[in-house]
Amino acid sequence: MLEMKNVRKVFRTDMVETCALDEFSLTVDQGEFVTITGPSGCGKTTFLNIAGLLETHTSGQYLLDGVDVSQLRDYARAKLRNQKIGFIFQSFNLMPDLNLFDNIDVPLRYRGMKSAERKERVDKALDSVGLFARKKHVPAQLSGGQQQRVAIARALVGEPLFLLADEPTGNLDSNTAKGVMALLEEINDSGTTIIMVTHDQSLAEQSKRNIHILDGRISNNTEQTQQKAAAAA
Amino acid sequence: MEIGPILRALSRNKLGVILISLQIAFTMTVMVNAVFIINERSKLMARPSGLDEPNTFYLSSTGFGDQFNSQVTERDDLELLRNTPGVIDATPTNAIPISGSGSSDGLRIENDPTLPATPAAVYFTDEHSVNTMNLTLIAGENFSASDMTYQSSNERRYYRKAIVTLALAEKLFPEEGLAAVGKSFYRDQAPVQIVGIVERLQAPWPNSFFVEQAMLVPLNFTDATSTYLIRTEPGQRDRLMVEIEETLAGNNPDRIIRGLKSLQETREESYRLDSSMATILLVVIVTLVFITSMGIVGLAVFGINRRRKQIGTRRALGATQLQILRYFMLENFFVSGVGVSIGAVLTIAFSIALSSLFEMPTMDWYYTPIGMLLLIAIGQIAVLGPSARAAQIQPAIATRSI
Repeated sequence: MLEMKNVRKVFRTDMVETCALDEFSLTVDQGEFVTITGPSGCGKTTFLNIAGLLETHTSGQYLLDGVDVSQLRDYARAKLRNQKIGFIFQSFNLMPDLNLFDNIDVPLRYRGMKSAERKERVDKALDSVGLFARKKHVPAQLSGGQQQRVAIARALVGEPLFLLADEPTGNLDSNTAKGVMALLEEINDSGTTIIMVTHDQSLAEQSKRNIHILDGRISNNTEQTQQKAAAAA
Repeated sequence: MEIGPILRALSRNKLGVILISLQIAFTMTVMVNAVFIINERSKLMARPSGLDEPNTFYLSSTGFGDQFNSQVTERDDLELLRNTPGVIDATPTNAIPISGSGSSDGLRIENDPTLPATPAAVYFTDEHSVNTMNLTLIAGENFSASDMTYQSSNERRYYRKAIVTLALAEKLFPEEGLAAVGKSFYRDQAPVQIVGIVERLQAPWPNSFFVEQAMLVPLNFTDATSTYLIRTEPGQRDRLMVEIEETLAGNNPDRIIRGLKSLQETREESYRLDSSMATILLVVIVTLVFITSMGIVGLAVFGINRRRKQIGTRRALGATQLQILRYFMLENFFVSGVGVSIGAVLTIAFSIALSSLFEMPTMDWYYTPIGMLLLIAIGQIAVLGPSARAAQIQPAIATRSI
């Protein structure tokens, strides 16, 4: 489903050249829950940006659902993002001027979906995160945990191939974070692939596989047993 | 299309929308009414006087001393002028069309001083006037030399014949038109017969309500001052203006030549206020449109900078660059739409107020929709650059923490 081979990402300025990812090879299969951990500046976000087609890589090969994305132009990358990937951001990234319904509706509109189908999907997504009754509210009227649930609903509404979560509990208190994690596990159990970047080792241990990055390279790629994951939970 | 979300988002940011909409509305009100006024002035300035303006000039001769004989001098001057190579014809006159100075009479179709009179400009001149002024005689005939009468300007004016403009003929005899030739009207209780009708000849007062009502009368004054109107062959005017002034001044030491001026100069002077007003209004329009455009650009740039992360998020969620561009163009379209809608109401109200306060003509209906479309187009052009820059924002900005 997601396959990276010797992916390298170099940031260049006039004075400095920084290699954010180096010889990075990784395969993620359908239905996996993979966490990406590592210290600050190790390349976690760079990996997430490249995996989510938010940035291009410098060299190497990246196959997304069998498509080599290396040579794709901006338009094709936007369409792939829209159809294959769901994003969950640390700061939720909801549109403050839009109500919950319109927020979740955003990716479907870019897909050109008809109004009736969009409404059905958005209502279902809101219902799945328990916020259907508040669909006319704006994000500022919700708690942090509720806002992240809206963001999860937005990520799921397009029925993507996989979810990319960037520190999804980073801005939440521990109790709320547990709730969000439980929701993500539930989503994963229903068959959706999740790749989650986190610096929280305890959360990482709840996933099926943990990849540790150090200086732009994978330093550890660990399959975790369900028992261990359950114990950690 | 994201019409619903854009409108709902705008409704949550009312202040900015209201301020820029009011600016657009105000600009539209001033712009449309100013364009209307400029057009009206331009129409006034473009009206033909009826004369061959590019090839016509005039001057005055004023005699002094006991030896000066005005009638002999005028006869000799006119003979000289008419025989000067390059001159088509010359005629004496009391007034110059559109110059701002002249004579008028009140005319009646019945000999009853209690009836309302029709005003008309009067040119006291001779049988050469039709040719000199290059007028088109559309009915009747020209004067002959025997029609001429001479008198002092201090005497009670007496004339029996007149050549009138078509506008004056239709005003006096609405049912007759060109058949007004041969009919008489009364001025100062004396009958005057219409012997001819010319297509057009404007009065000396360009802003007068009876500017198209004028007549030629075969009467000449025996005063010390004579004014000559001279038409030249094309391209000869400037040369002849210099030559004729020198010749006339040189062949009679008992008079002075003054007031040498071309009809084009006279037109420029007469309409200077109108053309200055048009220029000022044009500057006001350009300035207002520029300021409004800058306001739209400023609001768009501010909105885009404030929403960089939102734009990045939209891109991350699958928006193409074109969809981002379209979003901001649409947003501006709605803001401009509110502005021009308010502007349309203000424009019409302002036009009605101007019309009633200053007796201006009512603005044609199409000015308002054209103004609306124009301002929307200006808004779209103004916001195109900022929107294109917004479309260039990279989706990776969505994952940045600051």
